[in-house]
Amino acid sequence: MKAYIALIQIELKLALRNRSALFFNYAFPLIFFFIFAQSFHAEQGGAILQVVAMVATIGVIGNGLFGAGMRAVQEREQGILRRYKVTPISPVPLLTASIVTGVIIYVPFIAVMLLLAKTIYHMPMPAQVSSLFVFVIFGVTAFRSIGLIIAAVVNSMQESVILVQIAYFAMLFLSGASFPITIFPNWLQNLTQFIPATYLVSGFQGILLRNESIAQNTTAVLALIVTAAVALFVATKIFRWEKEEKVRNSAKLWILAVLVPFFLMGTYQAYSKDNVEKARLDTRVLRRSRNFLYRNARIFIGDGKVIENGAVLVKNGKFEEIYEGAGPDPKSVNAEAVEAAGKTILPGLIDVHVHLSAPGGIADETYKMDDKMFERKLAAYLYSGVTAVKSVGDPDELALKTKAKVNRGQRLGAEFFICGPLFTAEGGHGTEYFKQMPEKFRAAAQASFARTPKTAEEARQQVDELKKQGVDGIKAVLQGGMAGYAFNRLDLGLLRAISTESKAQGLPLTVHTGEAKDVADALDAGTNGIEHGSLRDAIPVELFTRMAKDGVFYDPTMSVFEGLEQLSERKSTLFNRSLVQQTQTKEMLAATRKMLATKPSAAPFEANREIAIANLRAAYKAGVMLVTGSDAGNPMVFHGPTVQREMELWVEAGLPATVALQAATANAARFLRVGNRVGMIKKGFEATMILVDGNPVQDIRLMETISSVMFKGERVDRSELFDQE
Amino acid sequence: MQTDSPIQVQDLKKQYGSFQAVKGISFEVRPGEVFGLLGPNGAGKTSTVEILEGIRARSSGDVKVLGFDPDRQKSALKDRIGVCLQATNLPDKITVKEALDLFASFYSKTVDGDALLKRLQLWEKRDVGYGTLSGGQKQRLALAMALINDPQLLFLDEPSTGLDPQARLEIRDLVEELRKEQRTILLTTHYIEEAERLCDRVAIIDSGHIIAIGTPRELQEKSSGQSTIDIRCSAPLPEDLPAWPNVARSTRTHNGTGLTVVSTQAARTLVELVKWVDAAGLELVDVNLKRPTLEDVFIELTGKKLRE
Repeated sequence: MKAYIALIQIELKLALRNRSALFFNYAFPLIFFFIFAQSFHAEQGGAILQVVAMVATIGVIGNGLFGAGMRAVQEREQGILRRYKVTPISPVPLLTASIVTGVIIYVPFIAVMLLLAKTIYHMPMPAQVSSLFVFVIFGVTAFRSIGLIIAAVVNSMQESVILVQIAYFAMLFLSGASFPITIFPNWLQNLTQFIPATYLVSGFQGILLRNESIAQNTTAVLALIVTAAVALFVATKIFRWEKEEKVRNSAKLWILAVLVPFFLMGTYQAYSKDNVEKARLDTRVLRRSRNFLYRNARIFIGDGKVIENGAVLVKNGKFEEIYEGAGPDPKSVNAEAVEAAGKTILPGLIDVHVHLSAPGGIADETYKMDDKMFERKLAAYLYSGVTAVKSVGDPDELALKTKAKVNRGQRLGAEFFICGPLFTAEGGHGTEYFKQMPEKFRAAAQASFARTPKTAEEARQQVDELKKQGVDGIKAVLQGGMAGYAFNRLDLGLLRAISTESKAQGLPLTVHTGEAKDVADALDAGTNGIEHGSLRDAIPVELFTRMAKDGVFYDPTMSVFEGLEQLSERKSTLFNRSLVQQTQTKEMLAATRKMLATKPSAAPFEANREIAIANLRAAYKAGVMLVTGSDAGNPMVFHGPTVQREMELWVEAGLPATVALQAATANAARFLRVGNRVGMIKKGFEATMILVDGNPVQDIRLMETISSVMFKGERVDRSELFDQE
Repeated sequence: MQTDSPIQVQDLKKQYGSFQAVKGISFEVRPGEVFGLLGPNGAGKTSTVEILEGIRARSSGDVKVLGFDPDRQKSALKDRIGVCLQATNLPDKITVKEALDLFASFYSKTVDGDALLKRLQLWEKRDVGYGTLSGGQKQRLALAMALINDPQLLFLDEPSTGLDPQARLEIRDLVEELRKEQRTILLTTHYIEEAERLCDRVAIIDSGHIIAIGTPRELQEKSSGQSTIDIRCSAPLPEDLPAWPNVARSTRTHNGTGLTVVSTQAARTLVELVKWVDAAGLELVDVNLKRPTLEDVFIELTGKKLRE
């Protein structure tokens, strides 16, 4: 034991006397720290955490490969180890002392860097500081072991220089320590998972960026421990005291043994993509953490108020401050200034009625209902400035899977709210889509898309089940026969059971209605929202008054009626809108264009849009809380700029633009029960907003002239949205 | 073979691949003696010493060092011996005292390091970095490190090679002191006169064999070597030299006043010479007898020079 202590003491003393050791352990990483901090604009947001993770990694790699590896070779070459050889000590205390010394020397650097990051760049301290230090210890141990195994297999200083440099630069550039791996092509991202330093980077990022503890980074920790154990074992076995002793070339294969754990983990990662996904999330976190000051803009708050000339400060993904007038000096608030003169800032738009599984245009044989297609549609929404959508009837598994992925930030797309399957009667609206399907698929398809309870108890159980799965609301269909179809209407007792249970579970219920009677019954059942209203008859004013009084939301879905009409008449004005052309796949554009060139259908769309318009006006006059839903997925209602067209239709119907804009933002957010965090440009709310050219309050059509989209603090790179791997 | 001999070697062989470096040697080193191992480069000297120090495995033969088998009881053996290696080094920035303290930590039993430094005249230099020491100081530190565990058996490998004459003398004095302390010493050296002066016994090793073993005197006597007698007189010697027995040749020197005689029986020849000078009525000014050196013996036995 006294040999261990003496060796560690001497190693420490020698390191402190050695200028190059001090330079490479402290000064060199600090230079990286400041260069990275400056080039990442660390003062303007959370990039400093990334910088700390990168520099910590670079330091550990250098400490291990140069500090342990090269030095061990040097001691052998200079005949220092030869002197130890004739004493009773074994290689174990020598190797141990090298590792312990490396740790002791490196830990203060981490402390200094954290301090600098905190004082100069206002870095928030990670929640798990102790985990960070424990991880540093594991990291240095593993990388010094790697350095020592390199030292053990090389036969000369030249060989070690070559091997160490190769290892150093490969790890520096491919691990994510100097660039985020998410910028690499896919094959290279997979390759990075075979590199030990990648696990160092991912561990540091987990602890720093995601505030994880060491226990949540078991893969990374395990990789490092296995490396250290294997490397030390082998290094002890093939330890050489003198340069005259040469290692056989076959012994060099031992170095591969050290890489075995990484080979296994790389293979696993190439399959699971855990790390790549984590890195993607970290990039998201970073992009959402920057500080911006948008100034000289018109600001539509969301609740109807407008600031004609103001500024918005975005920090850490939130609205930090809203200013009337010029706002502060961007430097004084550490923010990047964005000039927005002549533009209007609005909260992101919300569509409360979409069906992602339905195509929107005309689908061809390449159309596949899978998660990629869902993600692409959510990207199309975000591209168009629609930053949140609510699915009111889509296959449950697919909806839940997409929701998890997109809302975590793994994929960039509109925030996804789901009802999952819709509640309807057996043979009711919502089940007709499955009638043409072969018998054996029909049951499964219908089961994922619709719930048709027979009893109140079954209805309650189904609501509970959906709540457990994680839906955001419940949708029921209450509609009787309609020309051309003979739908069964949902039993009102069942509807009441669904409504009561939804309330008990804290889920908003919205009901699809076909006529005034359905609206009345839905209100009696206690619904929170009405979808569509009526196309067949006027909804009595008393019902609207009641809705206004009870705070029931009204989603008139004017878009779908126009869409169905354009489909039957083969009109292409909706299809030709610029944002539609920008957001749809080329297959869908081609198939739809082809279809629009055919003869109009023999049976034209029969619904009278005038009735819907009259109902909307009446609802507005009665003071009903209006929300925008498009029923996208239906023909000619393309997933993308849906809310814009819905608002245009409202304004054409005579409603003020501010009413439409408020319905699309603050009201819709309240309907989704997230009115406390989105839907308004308000201090403390999520920084989700769009910038459009000109003043949409005067001309609602300007809502399609999107100049930029900010989503949860991230300036969305719209051109990359459809290119997410 | 005495059982209490610190080093006992019986039929030791060492094979490197197809090359046999040590071809079955036997010897012992007795308690308290300084034993010299002489031999040209590649003779098997280093292999032998390293096997005894426990840092190289033997191919066959019986070896006991301080009663330990150096192959199987390495660390117990290393704990008890002191080794002063020829080509060794320490980090430049380590101080003399730190180095000694560090090595002290490796052993189960140690002596007072400060006393050792004072004795080896390193006390003044105790806080000086190894890199700034002179060659002699480095060698004295190496000796100090070899003595830190108070070993009864010391291996000194070329302790004075590469040192200036002054430093070489200091080291030799130290070895003499160690001998006086009754420590057993195995010494390898290139300096014949060092071996002659320091060693109680020497073994000459060549091509993996011990070709001669004994006290330096015994070796010289065993040798067929011839002594040289130089005489100088006050006046020129007579022209005719008598035919002395045992004399190989004789040469006049110093314009005839001197004579160099090479003889295989130096003592007898000397008497004859003195008688002859007396008889000639000349006065003897100087007489010098040179016995054959170990070097001569070495060359005679091995056909090689020691420092080739």
